[in-house]
Formats: sequence, structure tokens, C-alpha cells
Amino acid sequence: SKDDDAERPNEPPSSTYDIVVELLNNAAVMQKSVDKIANLKKVKELIVHNSPDLLDNFLDEMLAFQTDVSKDVKKFIIGFMEEACKKDNECLPKVLPSIVMLLADDDVNVQKKIILTANSMFKLTLSWITKAKKSRPEMTEVWNHLKELKTLLYEMLESVNDGIRTHVVKFLEGLTLVCSRRTADSEIPKKNEGDISLDQVSQTNGIAIPQKLEEDGRKAFNSLLQFQSSPHISSINLMTVMNALSNIAKQRPDFFDQVVQSYEALHVNLPPTLAKSQVSSVRKNLKTQMMGLLKHPASVDFLQQISTLLTDLGASQSEIAKNMPKDLESRKRKA
Amino acid sequence: MADDFKIAVICSSNQNRSMEAHSFLSKKGFNVKSFGTGNMVKLPGPAPDKPNVYDFSITYDAMYRDLMQKDYELYTQNGILHMLDRNRRIKAHPERFQDSTERFDLLITCEERVYDQVLEDFENKEKNDEQAVHIINIDIQDNHEEATIGAFMICELVTMLYASDDLDNEVDEILQEFEHKVKRSVLHTAQFY
Repeated sequence: SKDDDAERPNEPPSSTYDIVVELLNNAAVMQKSVDKIANLKKVKELIVHNSPDLLDNFLDEMLAFQTDVSKDVKKFIIGFMEEACKKDNECLPKVLPSIVMLLADDDVNVQKKIILTANSMFKLTLSWITKAKKSRPEMTEVWNHLKELKTLLYEMLESVNDGIRTHVVKFLEGLTLVCSRRTADSEIPKKNEGDISLDQVSQTNGIAIPQKLEEDGRKAFNSLLQFQSSPHISSINLMTVMNALSNIAKQRPDFFDQVVQSYEALHVNLPPTLAKSQVSSVRKNLKTQMMGLLKHPASVDFLQQISTLLTDLGASQSEIAKNMPKDLESRKRKA
Repeated sequence: MADDFKIAVICSSNQNRSMEAHSFLSKKGFNVKSFGTGNMVKLPGPAPDKPNVYDFSITYDAMYRDLMQKDYELYTQNGILHMLDRNRRIKAHPERFQDSTERFDLLITCEERVYDQVLEDFENKEKNDEQAVHIINIDIQDNHEEATIGAFMICELVTMLYASDDLDNEVDEILQEFEHKVKRSVLHTAQFY
């Protein structure tokens, strides 16, 4: 075919730069999205991983593919945006406007991909701003884009689309975690150990103000609590928000108390709109999350509530005993 | 046909229920894989308390030859050799779900205990929150007849789910329709990779 010929020029390209130019040119005229993505993948490999010095040169060219007709190409580019910004925070000013724009895409799958990427963008921007010795105007600009994104996402928690709401819940979970402090009891998944959180934000950078961030975090957390208790919540929304709250409780034990209380309230007041088998799924999920919380050292102050709830959900005494926090005795003595 | 919709069917030993569905779905053109969640692969033996136990790394072919040599009559008569023969034509050896790092759009489990084990595995896995996956359980008894019926039901469900343009939005309704149709209840939740 024509594309095959284009990929086999008579003379081998001389440098990475030339190879990238050729891959991008070919991608621009390719008809099939699979072929296009294959080319763009090669470009990503070259400019993000092999020769990151070229990233700045080709960023605009790559971002141009965000207007492609194919949702798969768009989703690929969103993934690229995230990796590029991870590699070099200086990509953020160019990428953020695109992120905001793609949130309004016609395709719901593109929107969902953006929603899941938003957290990463938030974390990257915050650490970019925090690390800088002096704040720069483009930092304020990026930060304002993020504020806009946040406002739009809060609105989307009311979307008529169930899947969009599910994904916004994941965003709010991430927002709560970034905008709150790690404590000695925080159980951080290995993968997230390097993530920024409120405790690492200095008082003086002028753009991201710690007090304001803390308010943001509380607001996100409260929205999740409120969402969990909405009377007509769908079963998938409900389980996603339950899982989000339990992730928050484990990583930010300051919220442990409120999460346990919210589960207790949920247990006695399940949404009347759930079908019978959905009730089984939700109760099973509640049991799993409560067991997870029980294992956490912070459960020491809530053992009575958690055990009662677990018993109601059908857990046996031995199952409960097995999942008690390991250092319970020593902690009790200290207390 | 359905390359970008990745499905995994999961039972305990990756022999009977998941393999029957694997076979059925791939014949229909779906992009499907199968797994087991048990620690070991268990096949019926000469008595209920004497199962044949294998590691997941042992090939279906090796199990076939082992059982053929142990008691050709018995394992022909109870259909185990026939099943292993079918399996070895699909893939080399059973796969343990917990050892897989692949991502799917849909996970279907064949019994509640397996569903629990899959969810437990999600609790322990490193996640990036990049992609949602739906996990659905349909109870299927572990015998030949039920596995056949089960595979048929799974295929029906997968076909309904695949036809949706926006699965995350429509999955609840589709599942209720399915439950009504097959008169069985399912468990369902979503997780993020």
C-alpha cells in the first residue's frame, strides 16, 4: 500500500529528528487510526523516552492530533500529554488548555479519559509550582486552567451519564488526597509514595495557597460524602464512591471517623432504587471496605462500630478477629 | 470483530467453566482470555478426597498424558480427557488470574468465591486509575452440563454488553435485563486499573 511505501524511503533517515518528522508526516495522512496510533506511539517513545531534548520541538505537532476524528487517536494523545508533562513539567502551559478543551469533547470516552488524567495534571502542576524558586506568570495561567477544570468537573458530578459521574468520583478522591496532609498513620500505596500532598506545599509560593488547598480538599471530601448519601444513587456510582472514601480513610486517617460514620449511615439506609441483586453487590462491597478499614491501625478507636457493622453484614467472629490490626495490643497499652 | 473489547472469564482452575466460555466466545469472534483464581489446578480423581492437583504451569497436554496413563478408562468416562483435549487446543496451560498484569474491559467470574478473590486481588494490586473495568459474577456449577449452559449465558451477556455504545452508562440496565431473561442474579461492581 501507499503507507508501506512511505515507511520505506530509499535512504535511511539520518537522525532521530528526521525520523520523528517523517513519522509525524506519515501519521498526518494515514487513514486508519490503528496505523496513525502506531506511528504516534513511535514518536512518543522517541521524544519522551529516548531523546527528551526533542520534546519541546515536537510538542505542538503532537498536540495537533487532539483534533483527529478518531476517539482512539484522541485518547492516545491524552495519554501522551500526561507522559510529556511527567517528563518535563514545562509542557504544562501548552497542554492544559487542550485538557480543558477536550473535556467538552463529543465522545464520552474521551471525556472520561480526561477526567482520569485531570488528577495527574493537578499533582504535576502543584509540584511544578512548589519546586520553583520563583513563581512565573505561566504558572498562574496553568493554575487558573486547573481551577476552571475543577469547576467543570464538579458540575459533571451531576451529569446524566452514569459513567461520567463514576469517573468524577475518582477525580474527587484524588483531589482530596492531594489537598490534605499525610500523617504517621497514612498507608500510602507504593506507587503513590512520590505523590505530592498538602504537607509538601510551602507557605510562600503565592499561587497555590495551603489554606485554600486545604479548603479544596475538604470540599472534595464532603462532596463525596454527600454523593454517597444521595437517595437515588446508582449502584456503580455508590460502590465507586464507597471505595473512594475507604481509599481516603486509609491514606488520610484524619478522615477515618467520618468515613466509618458514613458507612454506618449507608448500611441502615440503602438507596431504595437498588434492585435486589444490586443490594447484594453493595452489601458485599461494604463488607470488603469495612474489612479493609479494620486492618488499618487507625481502626483502633472504632473497633466496636466496625465489628458491629461487619457482624450485621454476615462476617464471622473469627473473620473479624483475623483482620484486626496487628499491633492492637501495644497500641491499646499506649492509649 | 471485537478486538478493542477485552474480556476475561475466570473460574477456579481454568479448566471447565472458564474454558468452555473461552472456547464459545472466541468462536463468536470476541477477544477473550481465561484464568483461574485457585492456588493450584484441581481435577477430579479416583475418589472425591483424591483429586488430581497440578501447578498452573503444567500444560494441559502434560495433564492429559498423565491422566491417560493413570487410568484411561476412568478419565475417558468422566469426560476429563475430552475436556483437557479441548483445552490444549485453545492454549498451552492454565493461567492464574493473580499472576496476570493484563488489563481488561470486562471480567466475568463463575462463582461468588472467585468474584471475591478477584476483588481481593484488585485491593492488593498497584493501580494507576487509568481505566475502568466491570466485574460481573454469574454462578455456574462446576460440571460439564452447567459449564455448557453457563458459556451460553455468558456469551449472551457479553453480546449485550458489547452492543452498548456507552457501557459505563448502560451496564446497570443491561444487567437487569439479563437477570430477568436468564432468571439468575448476578453480582456486579467496577474497579479501576
